[in-house]
Amino acid sequence: MQYQYTSEQSEFKDSLRKFVQDHYDYESRRHLAKEGNGYKAEYWQQLAELGVFGLPFAEEFGGLELDLGYLMGVAEEFGRGLVLEPMFPVLALAGRLLAAGDNAELKNELIPSLIGGELLIALASEEKASRGNPLIMATSVKAEGGELVINGEKHAVYAAPQASQYLVTAKDESGAVKVLLVAADAAGVTATEYQTVDGARASNLRFDNVKVPASASLFSGDAAASLELVIDEALLVMGAEAVGLMDQLMAITGEYLQTRKQFGMPIAAFQALQHRYADMYIACEKIRSLMWGALQTVGTAEFAESAAMLKAEIGKSGRYLGQQAVQLHGGIGMTDELSVGAYFKRLTAMDLILGGRDYQLSRLIKIRKAA
Amino acid sequence: MSTTDQSVDLESFRQEVRAFLETAPTPEILEAGRKTTSVFAPFKETMAWQKILNDKGWVAPSWPQEYGGTGWNIQQRYIFTQECNRRGVPPLLPQNIQMVGPAVLGFGTDEQKAEYLPKMLSGEDFWCQGYSEPGAGSDLASLKCRAESDGDDYILNGSKTWTTYGHHANKMFALVRTSTEGKPQQGITFLLLDMGLPGMEVRPIIGLDGEPEQCEVFFTDVRVPKRNRIGEENQGWTVAKYVLEFERGGSTFGTFLVPAMEQLHAVCDTPDASGNRLSDDPILSYKLAELDIDIRAVEHNEKRVNANLKHGENPGPMASLLKIMGTEVMQRFSELQLEVAGLAGLPLQNDALVVGSNVAPIGEESALLAMPYYLNTRAASIYAGSNEVQRSLLAKAALGA
Ligand SMILES: Cc1cc2nc3c(=O)[nH]c(=O)nc-3n(C[C@H](O)[C@H](O)[C@H](O)COP(=O)(O)OP(=O)(O)OC[C@H]3O[C@@H](n4cnc5c(N)ncnc54)[C@H](O)[C@@H]3O)c2cc1C
Repeated sequence: MQYQYTSEQSEFKDSLRKFVQDHYDYESRRHLAKEGNGYKAEYWQQLAELGVFGLPFAEEFGGLELDLGYLMGVAEEFGRGLVLEPMFPVLALAGRLLAAGDNAELKNELIPSLIGGELLIALASEEKASRGNPLIMATSVKAEGGELVINGEKHAVYAAPQASQYLVTAKDESGAVKVLLVAADAAGVTATEYQTVDGARASNLRFDNVKVPASASLFSGDAAASLELVIDEALLVMGAEAVGLMDQLMAITGEYLQTRKQFGMPIAAFQALQHRYADMYIACEKIRSLMWGALQTVGTAEFAESAAMLKAEIGKSGRYLGQQAVQLHGGIGMTDELSVGAYFKRLTAMDLILGGRDYQLSRLIKIRKAA
Repeated sequence: MSTTDQSVDLESFRQEVRAFLETAPTPEILEAGRKTTSVFAPFKETMAWQKILNDKGWVAPSWPQEYGGTGWNIQQRYIFTQECNRRGVPPLLPQNIQMVGPAVLGFGTDEQKAEYLPKMLSGEDFWCQGYSEPGAGSDLASLKCRAESDGDDYILNGSKTWTTYGHHANKMFALVRTSTEGKPQQGITFLLLDMGLPGMEVRPIIGLDGEPEQCEVFFTDVRVPKRNRIGEENQGWTVAKYVLEFERGGSTFGTFLVPAMEQLHAVCDTPDASGNRLSDDPILSYKLAELDIDIRAVEHNEKRVNANLKHGENPGPMASLLKIMGTEVMQRFSELQLEVAGLAGLPLQNDALVVGSNVAPIGEESALLAMPYYLNTRAASIYAGSNEVQRSLLAKAALGA
């Protein structure tokens, strides 16, 4: 029963912590979020050299083939330091989905360059109407004269502006889920790029009769189960990032309570604030426990349930913690000049992507009914 | 509704207000109303709206009639705000009419009243509030910005912070320290000054939504004539307290929340291309219903306090209650509005939020505001007496301690 990182995982995690500490003070992060394409190619290369991108992939592709705990450790450190390099969408979502596919040729072609840091790839799965459910989609794919034709619209595709390739989910005529590799510059692709509230880059993507060869399909059969599983496993990685964010927010807020003085004393002396801080502590530990609990069920029938619980709780306790960190800072918490707001905003965005609390609750109800 | 003035027909009053609001605001003003993402609406268009209201004589319903008030009773005032919010005009910035105005009305000399009040009403002047300092927030009385007496002038040294729209203002009303003797409240003076005096520096602060709304203001040997003082020297705390109590029963959160919630319901009830409605989701519907209850309670809290004021009751602890409930229900509304927006809440769209920019929103128009409004509304439990401080006041009053 794993409730903490193994010593090997910790070692790897510590190397990432050092990387983040060396590169990410809040001021430079603030600039990076606003300027250019929102990440540094140089850092991306360094992360490749540290071995981060090889973690989830099989040795045959040059990967390290290590369990999810490693990626979680990385995500925790990324959360703590508010790192903007799009490890989560590129690796935990698109990369791991790629690895789950059965198209050997595509995998051989793409995974090594992902590991090497040369390729950035984004998963285009969410739609307006899907409301968090990755299996609800209007995007369609049709076979036409040996080619596949894609039509539809995807929203909030994180890392799309930085990626050269997309993995696009679509339903074929039989209703099966397909995952298709589409080049960002393919004819018929329209991207509306934007900066997101949490400082990342994303796009809304439109596909108008976009044609890809049949060999661009990542799964020979229905990809529905793999898609759900990969997203659920990514939620564990997100959970770890949330823990990193929250631990850091707790530290910053605790320090502020003890140094900020009003009415001639540190505001930590006010019982109302002590109780609030205790509630924030509880919120943080709840998510930590749900995260480890979920990791223990990976590969079992209970995994979907525990992943949904973790994500639902991020939408509640994560939001609460972020809001209260702002509140306890008073006016200064409302500014872009202090990191607190950036942590708060990342926690806010987490509930909006990949199925918010409401969707996860509805999933839990369904899982229970089916049991 | 039974406790109103029998002499006023509230329904025909409502119709009169509605008829005016139908035609008075320009398209820009209405756009500013739609693009209001915090309690502080877009500056330029809101001041244009203030001017129109002033021309109509409706800009300061709470002021005495002789100085430009409307003579409306409190129910009429509530109805007026209700109708304004229903129409979607931007709320007036509170600094002129609700903050500095009452100070001048209560403690200004006739000369000061004649000099300042007309331009407060018309919006020719815009006043910012210089109370808070880096070291003096909830504990306002500990403020340190020093005003040294020098003949007919004060010389100011120190700084103010969180000064909302300080970068738009041409005037400031400030609390400054004129004495360090006795209790801290006793050495504070209420002072009016021009922005941009030699030695003053204004630095806008970027907020969570990426826009400047508050400012820091620094004073280095800034000379302000003593005749700009409101009330006696060292009586500033009394003036500031008077301002807080001036608008008894002025709480109007309900007038905003009711139409805002109607709009949110409308978004949730609108079917998408495949005929699905968000309100078909039982979990979302449950949350909407819960919020409906709270908004109804806020509305009736406010109306009940107003109705009972007529019998000479002091809102007392109810003022804290209205502030706590109003702001926290507003925050819950902002959360739900963001959940409804979903993915469409993620893009930063500061350009599209600029009035007149003609930048089309990414995704639905209804989602454009969701995120900045959510972020900015976190401030509602911090300003105007933080909700922690308000809860202490409420508990103290309720316990009779
Ligand atoms: C959007 C916005 C606009 C503003 N506009 C203006 C303006 O125009 N002019 C102006 O002068 N000021 C303005 N303010 C400042 C505002 O009045 C202060 O932020 C407020 O007084 C709180 O002070 P602080 O920010 O220093 O927080 P602090 O007082 O340092 O409070 C920090 C935390 O401690 C808590 N706390 C403090 N004392 C106690 C206590 N005794 N018991 C329990 N909890 C306590 C607070 O509730 C808060 O959670 C504005 C603030 C905001 C956010």
